[in-house]
Amino acid sequence: MTSTPRRTPPSAPAARLIAPLLAAVFAIGVTFFITYRIFGGETLDAVMQAINDRQTEANDFAAILFINALVGISVALFIVQLRRIALRVTITVVVALIFGFIMTTVFNLDSANRYIRGEFRVSVVTEAEVIEDEAADMEYGQARGDDFNRQGVLNPISEAAYTFAGRQGDLINVLAYAANRRSEVDLQVELIAPDGTSIGASNFATDEQVEQFDDLQSVNDAIIQGITLPADGLYTIHVRPQDLQTGTILSEALTNTRGAYEAFLLGAISRVNRWAVWIQDALTLILVGLAISIVFRARQFSLGAEGQLYFGALVSGVIALSGGALPGWIIIPVALVAAMTAGFLWGLLPGILKAYLNANELVSTLMLNTIAVRFYELVLTFQLQPPEAGYTASSDYPLSGQLPVLVANTQVTIAVFIVIIAVIAVWLLITRTPLGYEIRTAGSNLKFANYGGINTKRTIMLSLAVSGIVAGLAGAHLGMGIHRMLILNISLGLAFEGVVVALLARNNPLVIPFTGLLYAYLRSGAQFMERDANISFEIVRIIQAVIILLITAEALLAFVQSRRKLTTPAEPSTPTTTMESPRLIIESSAGEKKNV
Amino acid sequence: MFETVRDSIFSALFLAAILRVTTPILLPSLGALISDRAGVINIGLEGMMLGAAFTGAVVSAFAAPVVGVELAPWVGLLSACGISVSMALLLGLFHLRFKGDLILSGVAMNVLGSAATVAILYELTGNRGDSGDLASLQMPFIQLPAFINDIPLIGGFLYTVFNNQSVMTWIAFFSIFAVWFILYRTPFGMHLRASGENPSAAESVGIRVTRVRYAALALSGLFAGFGGVHLSMGYLSLFQRDMTSGRGFIALATPLLGGNNPVGTGIASLVFGFFDALAIRIGSLQLPSMLPQMIPYIAVVMALVIYALQTRQLLRVRALRSVEGIHFDVSYWRVVSRLSVLHVLMAMIAVIGIIITISLFSAPDGFGGAAVAYPIGAIIGIASALLIVINIPFISRVERLTAQGMWSAAASTLSLTVYFGLFLSLFFDTIPAVLIAVVLAFAVWLVLGGWRMLRGSSPTAAPA
Repeated sequence: MTSTPRRTPPSAPAARLIAPLLAAVFAIGVTFFITYRIFGGETLDAVMQAINDRQTEANDFAAILFINALVGISVALFIVQLRRIALRVTITVVVALIFGFIMTTVFNLDSANRYIRGEFRVSVVTEAEVIEDEAADMEYGQARGDDFNRQGVLNPISEAAYTFAGRQGDLINVLAYAANRRSEVDLQVELIAPDGTSIGASNFATDEQVEQFDDLQSVNDAIIQGITLPADGLYTIHVRPQDLQTGTILSEALTNTRGAYEAFLLGAISRVNRWAVWIQDALTLILVGLAISIVFRARQFSLGAEGQLYFGALVSGVIALSGGALPGWIIIPVALVAAMTAGFLWGLLPGILKAYLNANELVSTLMLNTIAVRFYELVLTFQLQPPEAGYTASSDYPLSGQLPVLVANTQVTIAVFIVIIAVIAVWLLITRTPLGYEIRTAGSNLKFANYGGINTKRTIMLSLAVSGIVAGLAGAHLGMGIHRMLILNISLGLAFEGVVVALLARNNPLVIPFTGLLYAYLRSGAQFMERDANISFEIVRIIQAVIILLITAEALLAFVQSRRKLTTPAEPSTPTTTMESPRLIIESSAGEKKNV
Repeated sequence: MFETVRDSIFSALFLAAILRVTTPILLPSLGALISDRAGVINIGLEGMMLGAAFTGAVVSAFAAPVVGVELAPWVGLLSACGISVSMALLLGLFHLRFKGDLILSGVAMNVLGSAATVAILYELTGNRGDSGDLASLQMPFIQLPAFINDIPLIGGFLYTVFNNQSVMTWIAFFSIFAVWFILYRTPFGMHLRASGENPSAAESVGIRVTRVRYAALALSGLFAGFGGVHLSMGYLSLFQRDMTSGRGFIALATPLLGGNNPVGTGIASLVFGFFDALAIRIGSLQLPSMLPQMIPYIAVVMALVIYALQTRQLLRVRALRSVEGIHFDVSYWRVVSRLSVLHVLMAMIAVIGIIITISLFSAPDGFGGAAVAYPIGAIIGIASALLIVINIPFISRVERLTAQGMWSAAASTLSLTVYFGLFLSLFFDTIPAVLIAVVLAFAVWLVLGGWRMLRGSSPTAAPA
């Protein structure tokens, strides 16, 4: 890629070797680490056993290893292509993850609340005779209770008092306990004599007491055992949850967050089926990222990938569903080509609007996205949904309309090869074809491109349309590879995810596989975090926003530096920093003037 | 079926509905206008609206027991605007200080607004769809004094339109004048416009461009906050995830259409409000709901096209003016550009016909089966294609209007007749409808200056 030479120090052949060496080490390491983790991550024997089981069961260990090797290769490409920038990208992601960690901790600050929240019961256990008294709340042997700090209640209660009638000399035990196993409330109880003095208090139960009394369930419950009542009269039991210490709150929050982050960062490679969720999501993201990178290369802020994806999914779905008895090797290529065509045409529209009418491509693509989604819903609801279906979805694709599976019982399909071809094709397009040259030139300096004799209008139009081809393919993959039917909301803002993928990769098609895998890793990890630790999936979208903010700010830093070094005649295309708007150039030059 | 729609469209209640649905477009549009004029277009309006809508709903619910039901909505409004303004300042920080890309930082703001609201909502209520569990409040509604109802002739109408509108609606329409005043009657507005037109020049005369832009972004965040509050606390009293549904992006297009000034922006917002309200009303027909839901978005795309074509023709005419110099006939060319806009409009409306045709053919089951849908679709499609074809020559080259005035007259009256005829057939029988339509179409063409165009330009008429 042309982005590398500018960054490499010209001297020291040894230094030039470092990157490939590092890349090779990382690639092999990543491949083996992932393989090791998804087969248990325990002792080597256990891993070998798991692999053998898988081997006999589905005979696809080779496919898994192959895909993991591809992951390794993408890591290597990332290092070799970006070199020092790779470090910066990594730092950006790590900073964003730390931010996410802090957010999660804040969300978890209430996790200690389970100790002050929940249903409880209070009872007086005694062998003495029951005393009946209208004025008392309860009597011997009875249990009364309520719900401390219940959520969503206007005035939650945080303490309670119950009275019972007592007789002098009765030997009683006062119990306060959580009403059910789910409630983890940590109680303390106090017994007040009729004259108002406290005659007993407790905030725990010993293990023996838990054994002895059936009602007690844990040491968090409280018991005042063996009190002899001093006088006749109405006794009061005060019960309330134990006060929370700041330390408890923080340590609980951190423990929970650590647990959540473990699910977040390692969840995707804990089992083969979770690994498959990661890989299939990555395939989609790589395609969307490629689509976005093409338009970003031409410095067009088009987010049309979403709409193109919907059309790709729709068109390929219609073909897959109507294929009937035709064999898969006919239907699948036809469906893919149709999806690509649909994406191309839906991208051509904003392309024409932008190139020939100068309509703001961001607004127009966002509007066209909504139109595409509504159209998709229209056709899906009224044409494709089988009448007996309970929810809005098409019927399952016939087997001939599904992409053949590579790893049994997962949705990891031959889309792997489609993605490899797409990556190479986009790379060739950008770096080795006249159109790619025009896109790069128009993206880095539109005026220069115009004076250089490039038909920039045509270039801009085609950049949006060609990006649609790849996005359409992503839609086809969603339909034919992952869901195997058409569903509502088949993509929720994938175009925005594509922005992150493309930005992290500096719009370099060879790096996009890595950033796509990385981002899909976070996305699928967030799913598992939500499932395992009840932390909202949206945390990953917050991280996404932080990444965009940091990476663009950083990109501009590089841009400013490169402008300062005007002594070396730079190439007209500066692919690592293609994202600055013209106004900024004006601004930064104004800033320089001020400095002079 | 059609009657109910017709009756509801021609009623004061419909006008009231337009005002209501215009509010959440108008407020962020004014924000977009301010940021646009300062040269820092705020792409993050959508996210800021979401942040404000969420904060307003949540804070009003939690403030109600503390400060009382009367005051709580205002506390909600205040904190909502606090959130949206700080998001805008964050955007400013990343763009102006850290030199991040403005558009992508704006996109990040949108992602942040959408994600953070859902995440916090989930934390608070355990629900990720809406905040229905919280007892959120509404902004107060303004009741008009009863005597307005007693004014003869227009009183009842005015009363129906303006009574019981949310206070946010009143704020929105007064904001038009507030923004106008800020932009054109204060030193700050002057600096703001200068910073947008030519930052280097502004800098050289001592305007602190960066500071002005921070302020402009903050103001646009404020208006986005108002808009968001109207969504969650105007007529609803809950927050739904992504409830802005693209209004923040529509708001980016309205200032363009409104000629980049507050009043024009207000009018453009009303147009979108009309389409929005229309979409709601058409929803009561036996049509798939997706079709009317597309309308506002199609309207935005068309607005972008119309704006672009208009600009291009303006440039052509301006070039002609500089060539002809003193012989340039101002009023004549004004008429020509007006009529060319008419052609653009005619073709654009026909585009809706094409979209309807595609929908009819793609999902005939939604429209009563293939037997009904295909013929109707074919007719609409052919008619729309025809209308586009006859109007396109006059759009692509504005000079053709002068050379082939008669053809232009025929094309525009024919197109107008079709649209008026369709519209009038809601009220009358076919033949009278067509007749009235022809007369109306011709009248409109005349009013727009058709006769003046046919007479041709008189080179000596207008001294420059």
